[in-house]
Amino acid sequence: MADNEYVVQMKGITKVYPNGIAANQGVDFNVKKGEIHALMGENGAGKSTLMKMLFGLEQPTEGTITVNGEEVSLTSPTVAISKGIGMVHQHFMLVPNLTVAENIVLGMEPKKNNLFMDYKKAVEITEEYAKKYNLQVDPDAKVRDIPVGMKQKVEILKALVRGAKILILDEPTAVLTTQETEELFKELIHLKEQGYTMVFISHKLHEIKQITDRLTIMRGGKSMGVYNTADISKEEISRLMVGRDVILTVEKEQAQPTDVVLRVRDLEYTNEWKKKMINHMSFDVRKGEILGIAGVEGNGQRELVDMLFNLNMPDSGVAKVNGHNILGESQRKIRDLGVSLIPEDRMTFGMAGAASIEENLISDRCAQKRYNNGPLFNMKKIHEDSDKLIEEYKVLCKNRTQKVGMLSGGNIQKVVVAREFSAEPVLIIADQPTRGIDVGATEFIRKKLVELSREGAAVLLVSADLNEVMELSDSLIIMYNGQIAAYFEDTKDLTDTVMGEYMLGLKQQSPEEVRRVQHGE
Amino acid sequence: MLEQILSMVFTTSFGYSIIRITSPILFAALAAVVAEKAGVTNIGLEGIMMISALFGVLFAYWTSYWWVGVIGAMVVGVILALIIGIFALKLKTDIILAGIAINLVGSGGTIFLLYLFTGLKGNTASLTTPSMLTPKLNIPILESIPVIGPIFSGHSILTYVAFLLVFLVWVLLYKTALGLQIRAVGENSHAADSVGVSVLKIQYIALGISGALSGLGGAYMSMYYSQSWNTGIVAGRGFIALAAQAMGQGEPLGSMFASLLFGFASALGNKMEGMQGFSSFLVAAVPYAVTIIGLVLYASTQVRRVKKSRFMEKGKKEAEKS
Amino acid sequence: MGNKRMMRFEILRGCAAIFIAIAVAFIFILICADDPLNALYCLLVRPVFNNGALNISSIYMILARMTPIIFTGLAVCVMFSANQFNLAGEGTVMAGGFVAGLVGIYVPLAAGLHPVVCILVGAAVGGALMLIPAWAKVKLNASEMVCSLMLNYVILYVVMHFLSNVFADRSQGSVQTYPYLETARVGKLIAGTELTWGFLVAIAATVLVAFFMFRTRWGYAIRMIGINESFSKYSGMKVGGIIVVSQVIGGVLSGMGGAIEVLGRYNAFLWKDLPGYGWTGITVAILAKNNPIAIPFAALFISYLNRGCELMSIYAGVPAEMIDIIQAVIFLFFAAEQFMAKTRQKMVVKEAKEELAKKTEPAAEGGNA
Repeated sequence: MADNEYVVQMKGITKVYPNGIAANQGVDFNVKKGEIHALMGENGAGKSTLMKMLFGLEQPTEGTITVNGEEVSLTSPTVAISKGIGMVHQHFMLVPNLTVAENIVLGMEPKKNNLFMDYKKAVEITEEYAKKYNLQVDPDAKVRDIPVGMKQKVEILKALVRGAKILILDEPTAVLTTQETEELFKELIHLKEQGYTMVFISHKLHEIKQITDRLTIMRGGKSMGVYNTADISKEEISRLMVGRDVILTVEKEQAQPTDVVLRVRDLEYTNEWKKKMINHMSFDVRKGEILGIAGVEGNGQRELVDMLFNLNMPDSGVAKVNGHNILGESQRKIRDLGVSLIPEDRMTFGMAGAASIEENLISDRCAQKRYNNGPLFNMKKIHEDSDKLIEEYKVLCKNRTQKVGMLSGGNIQKVVVAREFSAEPVLIIADQPTRGIDVGATEFIRKKLVELSREGAAVLLVSADLNEVMELSDSLIIMYNGQIAAYFEDTKDLTDTVMGEYMLGLKQQSPEEVRRVQHGE
Repeated sequence: MLEQILSMVFTTSFGYSIIRITSPILFAALAAVVAEKAGVTNIGLEGIMMISALFGVLFAYWTSYWWVGVIGAMVVGVILALIIGIFALKLKTDIILAGIAINLVGSGGTIFLLYLFTGLKGNTASLTTPSMLTPKLNIPILESIPVIGPIFSGHSILTYVAFLLVFLVWVLLYKTALGLQIRAVGENSHAADSVGVSVLKIQYIALGISGALSGLGGAYMSMYYSQSWNTGIVAGRGFIALAAQAMGQGEPLGSMFASLLFGFASALGNKMEGMQGFSSFLVAAVPYAVTIIGLVLYASTQVRRVKKSRFMEKGKKEAEKS
Repeated sequence: MGNKRMMRFEILRGCAAIFIAIAVAFIFILICADDPLNALYCLLVRPVFNNGALNISSIYMILARMTPIIFTGLAVCVMFSANQFNLAGEGTVMAGGFVAGLVGIYVPLAAGLHPVVCILVGAAVGGALMLIPAWAKVKLNASEMVCSLMLNYVILYVVMHFLSNVFADRSQGSVQTYPYLETARVGKLIAGTELTWGFLVAIAATVLVAFFMFRTRWGYAIRMIGINESFSKYSGMKVGGIIVVSQVIGGVLSGMGGAIEVLGRYNAFLWKDLPGYGWTGITVAILAKNNPIAIPFAALFISYLNRGCELMSIYAGVPAEMIDIIQAVIFLFFAAEQFMAKTRQKMVVKEAKEELAKKTEPAAEGGNA
């Protein structure tokens, strides 16, 4: 193949972060002119890292990048923009208190008299591009007040105004409604017809099939190959992406659920932008069962978990653990009721990076009698138990004094899990427990989760990873738009297709069917 | 006694002294506003004011021109702010600590600098002659208006600059491209970075502006207010400016009102000092105490707002009921 | 990076920072001293050696001057560990010292008991004052930094008011209180020197604070909150309470330091300005990297430099205030995370490569049991 066929060529890219995590290892990635190229992979497969390097936000440790046949050193976004590369970030890179027009011209402001900003011109530019590319926005609205779909358009416009010919779209549909997604796709095809090249990062199969020409699949920081979208089946993509053949199915006995441990009734939550994130949710989690919550991210899962651990307050509703209220109670009280949480954002909530493994392991129990002799810590007990946990949970480290921040993602999560699981919980809330971590750690954590549930813990498993929820859950809720779209008492005969339909809002169970998740009362 | 105080407050000289006292704080408060808008906390304002106050006097002394002194003070302010910038932004010293380091230089280091540059020892430098001080400005028409005239006319030229700067800083922040970038960097640096706005460059610029503004504040102190330089000259005004910035919600106009509040408390204190039964020391403490109270009051309104929007109370009560 | 290698790097970096500061000092000395070599000798050597013999009196002085800055250093260390930029060390030293002094003058007590009571009262005053910024921070989310800065001045002027208008000894030329009762004085450790029992108390406080920070649940909570507040909250710690505790302990320590300094060094209370120990305490804590055990060493270093600058000013005509500039330079480089970052990055990459090479063989160890 002639080299000039490609507008982007990344060769042998390796990225090692300062904390020693190798996010990319010898990745090759090529994009043809005028195509929509999918970059696929599970969370943590290294897609985002690869694209950050293409946009100059990170620099590769090894490897070369060629854009339009010219080898380039993308030291900053500015350089990348000057090479015609634009990026639409997953988490919008917008300034909430500035208007749409201000956000769009930021960094390339039109000026009057070389000094003052020409705001009128900024509005004109915005309107001109909005019209040309059929991306309707309100130039004078403050970004904090506009809906998510419009924010996305602002992001795309930002790139186009800067003369981007190659657009990187980082999971653009993650936050969009079905309708908005359809709209976006129309706009993207419109752009493609005008000669734009796009890299489309996603892990949603149907979207990829619908819109892309070719695709590159990544797994564990490596490329799993490049394919024509038309020539590869969804099953094959799925196999390459999630690598079912590596992850063994977790063996588990039939669950014998007994009493209700967590009871949630009529939970409602409206976020600060007045969007109803949780709409009348009611469900029960019983002793000895794993209740999975599946759903496309952003359908209220995060908000639900936040409220169950008092990181946020609901508008109204009830949540009780063994009959005791947990809404608005201190984390101490919630933990004392026997609730453990594996937080989704483990870097923010799950660990103190600059503290040692041992210190991270005792954070929830530092005041317990077992670890204190009067006013002083019982260091012997602490050392003993830490070493035991490190061994039991196979945390790969030098010793218990190593800083947690220096560990790999999988080992950090093992530390979190070791702490949460060893607290003798009656209820475990596991929010994306294996996101972005290696296969070994993933399997280990999943097995542990099953083990604990069979020993009598109630488990609420929230995961965007279909494989995970389907394999681990005894029964399953699918969340869509802040509501329970479906409840399955048994996950054995569930298929991806059926789940997909509920997850994407194509189907919705009747209220009677959904009500089966309330056991008693 | 209240009567006595009131009769003092309702005099033109009282109004005049409020403005006189407010000016240096206003300079520094605006400096804090610009820095904070760009997302950097410049706690080094105090030290910058100290050092630029010294250099203002020195430059005026060396050249016999007051305006060279003022410009010199500004330049020194910029250099010092950029030193904070280099350490905080490039070498990743915590910006609070970098500011404290500059304050250390400001407190005792100035005495050494004075010796280094002039060979003089001691903690005061009365190098200036009245001709080297910044001139007073009588505004032609304003001057002759009763009540208004005596309050607003006849201040140092720098006072007028300070109040003009409230407007200019507002224009800078809201009507220029640089201002847009400053606000963007302060609110979401990732967003600014992603469109090629150099966050570091903008923060350096904002720090530079903040240095220049606090430099002016320093010059005002040594070249007008105290008429010479000494080690106690700034006396926490740089810190008060930080409080004024916080109370003024980080906006130029709001910070001006907060500075005026301090100016009022301070002027009131000065007046009361002459009265029997008032200790000059207790009176001196008033503005600082007022600042704490103002800060606390302001913070408590903020907290209430946040609570309301989060349904905190409501949610908790309902949860208890059920 | 491994802990040991990290430690080695930190030491290397610290030495580099000190070296730069000394170099800066040297340049200043070259500019303004008549006899630069003598000035340098005064700065670096004379504090301990003079005329070929140990400079005993100077050494005692260095040790004596360490006392207050060990206390403020410890105070800052505890507060900064909780990520609380409370800068009221200055004010609480003064308030603690003043009130302790009053107890020393007006409350007659038995000889052994008197200084103890004075110091405890000083500590209590310091702790109580810190409740103000701590409360405003925890309850109202007001910046403890700005609040504490203002507090310093309020304390200064209130103390000055009571000193000059209420408790002044009019028979003296300068503004000061009546002399302390003999029973209240903090006794000399070695007669004829400035070194008092306070020094030993400071060392004891260091050990206590170190135990507190590393061997108790409260110290542990303080450190965790400093590293990651969200994590601490999620773990079930009472974050607000611990933040208050950290600042109150800071106040207690600096109040104590003020009391000991005032009762040990002077005959009467005569401070007419904030003493500066609060700010020096910050330098000391930065040098010690917030590790209580390292505080006395950092204090020794600063005290040594201080003494050096003093001697330099006496014998070589260079103003002693140069110490502030040297301190600032050390301070800046010590706290600069990215100072010598390239060296560190090289070390990290080297280690990562070694690890990778090791890992590729027994990969199964990762937990695929």
